[in-house]
Amino acid sequence: MSIGPSPNTAPDSTLNKSELEEEMVENQFRDLLRSFIRHRSAVIGGAIVLFFILIALAAPLIAPYDYKAVNENIRLSSPSPEHWLGTDDMGRDIFSRIVYGARISLWVGFVAVSGSIVVGSLLGLIAGFYGGWRDVLISRIFDILLAFPSILLAIAIVAMLGPSLENALIAIAIINIPTFGRLMRSRVLSIKEEDYILAARAMGMKNGRILFQHILPNSWTPIMVQGTLGFATAVIEAAALGFLGLGAQPPDPEWGKMLADARPYIQTAPWTMIFPGLAIMMTVLGFNLLGDGLRDIMDPRMKQ
Amino acid sequence: MSLRKSWIASIALVMVLSLFLAACGGGGDSAGGGEDILIIGRGADSKSLDPIQVTDGESIKVTHNIFETLVKFKEDSTEIEPGLAKEWEASEDGKTWTFYLQEGVKFHDGTDFNADAVVYNFERWMDKDHPEHKGGEFIYYKGMFGGFKGDKGHVIKSVKALDEYTVQFELNYPQGPFLANLAMAMFGIASPEAVKKDPVAFNENPVGTGPFKFKEWKKGESITLVKNENYWREGLPKLDGLIFRSIPDNSARFTALQSGEIDLMDGLNTDDAKQVESNKDLQLFKRPPNTIGYLAFNMEKEPFNNKKVRQALNMAVNKEGLVKTFFGDLGEPAKNPIPPSLWGYNDEVKDYEYNPEKAKELLAEAGYPDGFSFDLWAMPEPRPYMPDGKKIAEYLQANFEKIGVKANIVSYEWLTYLEKTENGEHEAALLGWTGDNGDPDNFLYVLLDKDNAKKPAQNIAFYKSDELHDLLIKAQRLSDQEEREPLYLKAQEIIKEDAPWITLAHATPPVVAKASVKGYVPHATGSESLENVWIEK
Repeated sequence: MSIGPSPNTAPDSTLNKSELEEEMVENQFRDLLRSFIRHRSAVIGGAIVLFFILIALAAPLIAPYDYKAVNENIRLSSPSPEHWLGTDDMGRDIFSRIVYGARISLWVGFVAVSGSIVVGSLLGLIAGFYGGWRDVLISRIFDILLAFPSILLAIAIVAMLGPSLENALIAIAIINIPTFGRLMRSRVLSIKEEDYILAARAMGMKNGRILFQHILPNSWTPIMVQGTLGFATAVIEAAALGFLGLGAQPPDPEWGKMLADARPYIQTAPWTMIFPGLAIMMTVLGFNLLGDGLRDIMDPRMKQ
Repeated sequence: MSLRKSWIASIALVMVLSLFLAACGGGGDSAGGGEDILIIGRGADSKSLDPIQVTDGESIKVTHNIFETLVKFKEDSTEIEPGLAKEWEASEDGKTWTFYLQEGVKFHDGTDFNADAVVYNFERWMDKDHPEHKGGEFIYYKGMFGGFKGDKGHVIKSVKALDEYTVQFELNYPQGPFLANLAMAMFGIASPEAVKKDPVAFNENPVGTGPFKFKEWKKGESITLVKNENYWREGLPKLDGLIFRSIPDNSARFTALQSGEIDLMDGLNTDDAKQVESNKDLQLFKRPPNTIGYLAFNMEKEPFNNKKVRQALNMAVNKEGLVKTFFGDLGEPAKNPIPPSLWGYNDEVKDYEYNPEKAKELLAEAGYPDGFSFDLWAMPEPRPYMPDGKKIAEYLQANFEKIGVKANIVSYEWLTYLEKTENGEHEAALLGWTGDNGDPDNFLYVLLDKDNAKKPAQNIAFYKSDELHDLLIKAQRLSDQEEREPLYLKAQEIIKEDAPWITLAHATPPVVAKASVKGYVPHATGSESLENVWIEK
């Protein structure tokens, strides 16, 4: 574990500290990049993720049609040069819908995961660092949240808040909090016994500074890896909620919702189902490969 | 060792015994000739089994088999034929009606059907102070007979038993569709004893004179009826029982039919119709088109209290496209609230043309140049008049967007949806209607008259036009169809101009059954008694 600056911020090296630090970081970054490129599945995963991010960003430029435009004359037409992935039951271009759908799925993944990382890490930090009743309280809350099957909990939350994309997002963020919280807590528990923390404490450094300058920077690697993997889960959960009609509302072309809409046509017009399904699968695969790769790269035990 | 042996022996014995018992059970059944039970798949559960309390087709479909009416519709038309009354006569002025009842008919609980029972039922329905006027809103009675006892416009003055099998109705004024109204399944005669026991719980324990008796209701799942062995029509019903199963998803229901789980179903996806026609194990019935699917604007709320806004939205909808997309061959675009097959249909009425540009202009004139946003309510389950409410809402949403109007689609569980729309909580809601008696009055008065705009309302547009009201009431009080017709023609013009609805489509609801189901005739009113149906072996 050698990314964070903390172990090197020995108090007596104040003079050339920043210079040294910069060099260290640069070296580490180069190291990381090199091992990333050498890691084949990480590169493939990264490429897929990048591909979908580009598609999402450039959706208006890529999509050949308005994703909302209905046309009864071309409903359920099979893939053709005009409509690359065919049209759905209302005659809407599936390719355009999938392109715009990438925006929704990635947006949901990003916001939900960021949300759960922020909240989860904070709670985990507090629980791990202070211990005592705070730890008991927070850990039990995590246990309770984890006791529910996550999608069931998400459904319950959305049912309470009302079905919409925003609420689905909140629900997905909430159900992922304990994953990050527990991870953070366990990291903090081991880091706080390290010598440099004891040294900082011996110097009379305040808790807040220890937490945010020493402990947090040294525990974020697993969080980052978990975050990438969590992104994949969030995309699936968003699709599941969309499929159940609890996520994105029409006319948003959410992939899970497209799947649900395509259900009656699975035999007569399978492309309405195959392509949104593939889009979900590829995105999830991309994030999983990337996450696995990052874990391998960043785990010092895996390094030769 | 010996212990283990005895164990094996006893297990073997249990297995043999259970096999034997199972075989016996099966044998017992087949010895009795086998139970002919028709399993019907449908989109939603019933709301109540007290027919007078309901307006939804899913409830009527069931109660139609439990209860009978004084007169009834012919199997394949809306002509009237004898029911519990074998004969009847009307006075010259149309204000006195005398019914001669069938003798020897018994309710399922063993009590006698007679003139007193008929009088009791009508008293319960019409008199708000009646001790058993409970269990619901009696919304259909109010809708068809101009309110309750004491209300201005109430049609029935009194109901008297002249002798044990003769009933006489005195009317305040003649009502054109009086007989047709009496034939509606909602006015099924219930056992007075059973109602008196508990008028509220009666809806879960219905007792009538019909061909089938109520057995069990698993809420949200299924309703089971069994053969009425003492049914007064000889040799009927031919089936031993009916099971109504709710399977909300159209495709899932169709799969259940194909796999033999159910015998008959309604609510077929338009795109599956071709599959049925090419499958010789299945048969497709088309219910005579007698429906309207519409979008009702709540005229009590802004901006829908503005006629120009309503007209603009009418112009924004591409009806041809909508019908082609969702109804295929099983529907046609609607311009009037009543279906073209009904007498009194006004073919002269010109529909709003599909013209987003003009709609935009009109919207600007109304003071909404940048459009507005509203909640568009869509029913959660497939209905006979609308195969997929949510998707139709999505289509409308795309149409409205072109004129700058943003529609947010909202949906509730079906029974909640009905309740909330009846109470006017919506801004604009999709709904529809299947005619129950082959009279234009049943569409226009029930759904659009100001009498029915009082909460809980059937006129969910809360459209209150005095001009229309006068016409409809006048038409109601005439008994000659030729005199009534011009009034209804005029009524449709007024409605088109005021645009309380967007009339979307007249559907021809498909019914699919296994090829072995015989004697089934779908009725235009959306429900039928299944006494003549049998299953061919």
